[in-house]
Amino acid sequence: MTALSDHQRAPQQPVALWRRPRTLDLVGLVARLLLGGVMLVAGALKVTKPEVSARAVQAYQLLPFDLATYVGYALPVLEVIIGALLVAGLFTRVSAVVSGVLLVAFVIGIGSAWARGLSIDCGCFGEGGTIDPSATRYLEEILRDVGLVLCAAWLVIRPRTAYSLERTLFAEGR
Amino acid sequence: MSTQAKDRRAKIQAATPKGRGGANRIVVATVVVVLAIAAIVAAVIVADQGKKADLAAGGSSLPKNASAMGAGLVVNPSAPANVPTLDLWVDFQCPACASFEESFGDQVTQMAKANEVKLVVHVLSFLDNNLGNDSSNRAANAAFCAADQGAFLPYHQAVFAGQPEQEGTGYTDDQLKGFAAKAGITGSALNTWQQCYDGREHNQYVESVQTQSAKDGVNGTPTVKLNGSPLQLQGLTPESLTEQVRAATT
Repeated sequence: MTALSDHQRAPQQPVALWRRPRTLDLVGLVARLLLGGVMLVAGALKVTKPEVSARAVQAYQLLPFDLATYVGYALPVLEVIIGALLVAGLFTRVSAVVSGVLLVAFVIGIGSAWARGLSIDCGCFGEGGTIDPSATRYLEEILRDVGLVLCAAWLVIRPRTAYSLERTLFAEGR
Repeated sequence: MSTQAKDRRAKIQAATPKGRGGANRIVVATVVVVLAIAAIVAAVIVADQGKKADLAAGGSSLPKNASAMGAGLVVNPSAPANVPTLDLWVDFQCPACASFEESFGDQVTQMAKANEVKLVVHVLSFLDNNLGNDSSNRAANAAFCAADQGAFLPYHQAVFAGQPEQEGTGYTDDQLKGFAAKAGITGSALNTWQQCYDGREHNQYVESVQTQSAKDGVNGTPTVKLNGSPLQLQGLTPESLTEQVRAATT
């Protein structure tokens, strides 16, 4: 066995560790769990309190009031679904696209609130609404979301990850 | 026999097109998308129906000195036109509101009594959703029933003085009745207060103030506005408050 694989590999250049498919699969796994985990937790913390979520969206003063209310009701459920799909590794590319679009929208929202001089909590993990100007953490919130957008981008470009449900379920790449 | 069976299975596998090795991707995707849309639509409908039921619950009468649904309660309607309007948004369960009341309550009360400002109080109830109880709503109802008895401000002060140490503990009905007695509502007036409170006669007004404040972009408490512009509460002192009120008086 050892002799055979040595024989196979001998004529080729050894593939660098960071370029091996297995390594890239594991990087994808980390990106998927990070992005999915944050989405899932953020959604789960808000899903039982739709009114709080609605107010958090209203506080951005970007959407018409009633639309903001409905978006606030819907967002936590969407986050839970997308988060669960990512954590499980099912429809990774589509889920990553949806979460990426959401996160870019969040970054725009937070940046716009910052630029307009509002003092609000982003409402990312519940709460939300007006807070003391000294308690705003816009830069931190934006940097976190940008980091997650990078995870989403990786998964859109290379959705193949280690230990994903889609590989088991759809018997692909065997 | 067993080798023959193995051979046959291998042949069948080889003949099966690739991609059919597991579940059908399109079927699974359709199921997931349908379930996701159903869950989101259901969540929106349930929340919306709940909200509509809240808005329609209780009585629709306006408390004394509230001019319209959604409008704040005017503490001193006799204020002359040249004094500035001081709008105050509070939630009876908000600890920072109790702190504000402790630091500035007496001063603001004096200003209203002396007609140096037109004091308008907007009682919010959004913390009920955050804290998972209904104490802000009940305390607001109770305060507006006290307003009918001409005791809004004393009631307002009694609630904040009796706010529980731990945010989220809330108020019992007995505590809210006790605040009425503390606010000087006694005898037949207390009976009237009780009737008003039990019937939630001003509940639709309470909900309307919450909705209007959210529409006006007031999403946190305490919020204080002098002639419509927000007062910076950090670093605010009794002296600087007096100074700002004086500057706004025409």
